[in-house]
Amino acid sequence: MDDLLAEFIAETREMLEASSGEIVAWEADPADRARLDTIFRFVHTVKGNCGFFDFPRLAELSHAAEDALADCRAGRRDPDPQLVSAVLAIIDRIAQMIDAIEAGEDISRAGPQLGDRALIDAVNDTRETSSEDGASAGKQGSNPPLHASAAEQFRNDEPSEDRRADRPADRALAGRRADPPAAQRTIRLPVDLLDRVMSGVSDMVLARNDLAHRLRQAGNQPTIDGPFERLTTILSDVRDAITRMRMQRIETLLGALPRLVRDLSAELGKQVMVDLDGGDVELDREMIETIRDPLTHIIRNAIDHGIETPAVRRANGKREIGLLTLAARQSGNTIAIVISDDGRGLEEERIAAKAIATGLISAAERSAMSRDKILNLIFEPGFSTAEVVSNVSGRGVGLDVVRQNLEKVGGSIKVASAPGHGTLFTLQIPLTLSIIAGLTVEVSGQRFAIPQSYVEEIVQASAKTLDLTQLGETALITFRGHRAVCLMLAEVLGLDTSAAATCDPTLVMLRLASGDLFALAVDRIHNHGDLVVKPLAPAVMKCGLYAGSTLLDDGQPVLLLDVANIAAAHDLVSETRAHVRAPNAEPAAQAQHDVVRAMLFTDFAGRRSAVRLELVQRIETAPVSAIDRSAARPRAVIDGTILPLIGLPDAPLANARVRLLRLSDGTCELLYAVREVADAIALTAALHPVAEDPLAEAVTLVDGQPVTLIDAHELFARFGEPRAATCRPRCCLPADNWSRTILAPLVTAAGYEVVPPEAADPATITVLFDAEFEAAEALGHAFTGPVIRLRDHPEAPAASATIYRYDRDALLAALAGAARFNHRVGGRA
Amino acid sequence: MTDTLLVIAQIAGRRCALSALDVKSVIELGAVTPIPRTPGYIAGITALRSQALTVIDCRLALGLTRHDWPTDDRAAVVADGGYAYALLVDGIEDITTAVGEPGQVPGGFGPEWSRVATGMIETMIGPALLIDLPALLAGPDTVRHETDAAA
Repeated sequence: MDDLLAEFIAETREMLEASSGEIVAWEADPADRARLDTIFRFVHTVKGNCGFFDFPRLAELSHAAEDALADCRAGRRDPDPQLVSAVLAIIDRIAQMIDAIEAGEDISRAGPQLGDRALIDAVNDTRETSSEDGASAGKQGSNPPLHASAAEQFRNDEPSEDRRADRPADRALAGRRADPPAAQRTIRLPVDLLDRVMSGVSDMVLARNDLAHRLRQAGNQPTIDGPFERLTTILSDVRDAITRMRMQRIETLLGALPRLVRDLSAELGKQVMVDLDGGDVELDREMIETIRDPLTHIIRNAIDHGIETPAVRRANGKREIGLLTLAARQSGNTIAIVISDDGRGLEEERIAAKAIATGLISAAERSAMSRDKILNLIFEPGFSTAEVVSNVSGRGVGLDVVRQNLEKVGGSIKVASAPGHGTLFTLQIPLTLSIIAGLTVEVSGQRFAIPQSYVEEIVQASAKTLDLTQLGETALITFRGHRAVCLMLAEVLGLDTSAAATCDPTLVMLRLASGDLFALAVDRIHNHGDLVVKPLAPAVMKCGLYAGSTLLDDGQPVLLLDVANIAAAHDLVSETRAHVRAPNAEPAAQAQHDVVRAMLFTDFAGRRSAVRLELVQRIETAPVSAIDRSAARPRAVIDGTILPLIGLPDAPLANARVRLLRLSDGTCELLYAVREVADAIALTAALHPVAEDPLAEAVTLVDGQPVTLIDAHELFARFGEPRAATCRPRCCLPADNWSRTILAPLVTAAGYEVVPPEAADPATITVLFDAEFEAAEALGHAFTGPVIRLRDHPEAPAASATIYRYDRDALLAALAGAARFNHRVGGRA
Repeated sequence: MTDTLLVIAQIAGRRCALSALDVKSVIELGAVTPIPRTPGYIAGITALRSQALTVIDCRLALGLTRHDWPTDDRAAVVADGGYAYALLVDGIEDITTAVGEPGQVPGGFGPEWSRVATGMIETMIGPALLIDLPALLAGPDTVRHETDAAA
């Protein structure tokens, strides 16, 4: 019986949730038959179930609603707004009772029994008034009986029939109406069964990895490799499917919002339309629960503070009905939810004044802050703009709590607003709690993982270039002109620090959700990838350094660092002082905008030089073995391509690795070997042209020292080599061995691309043996492109347009001629 | 409690009994990744297939200060509160059935042992201390732990 009851509660809940959107849709258009049917089915099912369980109150309520709705269906009554409100009130009461039943209360006594009578009477009452014509029904709505209806108010203010077409929200409703969400067939499963299946699949993946490892050791075994590949594919499919089992469409969350908006706007005497988009985006079930409250809070805020009353809106030349849009989008491993309203927007001045009054910022700081910075102060703890605390928002829960809750799950929130035009909140949340992108780092011989979302940049440089200084117990570095605190991971974890780490650290720059930046020094970076995060035992969590554990591909367990907590423990998280530094830097950055930015480096001659930053594609570190100095000009192999290399000293290189600047002018690329890369700088001092050195564009001063700015034009003119033309003439060769091994290399070296016959187009040059050509001609096969015929014997038969196959010059001339011919044809076409 | 299956293990040279219902399996302990900045009795984490187990050194979890107990590198896998642990012990002896109910001994078992023991239980192979799993996993109490750290 208990099982049945639980099932009943769950089923009723599910139906309530599913139908709450329908109810509002029906209210907006009571004539909509499909909605009416859905709601009727709901009350009907509840009524049936109640009889079974002996809940007389529930039965009575649902019976009354069912009767009224049945009359509507049969056409005996018009579903006027009053009836709609009465039915909605009953459905609300049913929801309350379901809660009570679940809590184990005796509903035959609990709650306001008298209330039931009034609700039932309300449904029946309207029966008499329903004889009045439909137009007057709207007027009755002006003194709302039980439920102030947003839709009634729309009707009062905007009685035109075809209003639906010009309101996006209504259009959205209309769209849904035409295509009611197809009910997916579902079954209910206990979550731990799902978890068991998931961990089973994870085990299978590990077993597969182990097997793969052994197979690699055993060498190629075609009979095993094939099935093994298949197993791998199937396994990854299954894994995807299992992951999706934990996913839920965000629709389940959005479905409840129209109702929330409707009730709130009615309560506040405002008119709001909702437009929902992206309900098919899927999210981890638990994540949906986590964002439910923050989302509700933002929507409450938007309606309470954002959207103005109809009178104010009219005065400002806006439509009386406010528009609230909510869109969900998935991009990679995160989901962005954007909530925007067309209300009055955030008032920078008021927020600033409030922040100063509450001591969040000082007046001096305020004048240095950008509008964006000020707006985002609303997420600071202890900030709430509502002057009057209404019962809708401002219940002691502020946006700071919203941000905190989102950050807890690795999300973030920001706000943008145009005064008078509206406000836009952007929420970024990870797709699941259990799979995150992570970076694996090593310190003191042990590996740890860092969530990728925090990682801003990885810096590998000497302590000197980073200006690593020890101030008291704190280490500071200079990163892009900012001073940032540098934590030694080994110290944080109480591990032995290796000497290498302190003098030549690898820094992971971490950006907290609050915007604060700090560096974490590690010994080595391993790799990054998706990590499946498992919870840690409470005793381990208590130390506050770890967020979970994960297993690497080889099955080795690795701890995931809790970056936010570590930063908090070291007092690195945004407080007021953090605001002081950040905004000051911003105007400076803007001022630098039209200044020449350059990469400062020391070349092998010891000369301090700079090259315009736009030219620098990347800084490469290559082993000396990748450099080839055998030809007149040295070259180096980077990423599988050979590029010209300049700047090498005449003497052999002392180091095993060399730093290379990869420069590009858009088409050519070349490498510039340097002794040390210093930093990206802005060239603020005057540039003095240098006439005597053609490779120098100018000489300028950086920090009081002369720096030579490399002349890019001369550099590329002298050393640049265009990459192989992207569109080389194509050439189709015979399929025999000789052609493949002897002819093809020659043709390729001459700058032609060898393509298989299937890929041939009219411009493709066809090379083939004379015998083949004659056979093809005899069969009536026409060649679309130019044809070069080869013969086996040096002596040509009379009047033959063939070329001896070892006559290199004639062959190349023929190819060039054919390519030119194509070019002319192409030019004319 | 008659016929209750027990896993008999040696912890710090004493014979202890764990309810077989609590013990999921007995594993050969592979590589254990230490967890910096955690109390000493947490030896680290280890992987059991795709599961991560927290390894608890039972000798240290008792609050005993000696660190050189021998071990046969086998560990009992137990679950508590939804988390899986591997209990590092001196050795796993046997699986046997209990004879009678757990009882107390006049004078107790000594402070460390009394904290984690439900009582003495007679088994087919002799008397053993019946271990209270949550108490063991909670580790030595804070005061004792601090003195440990100081020592």
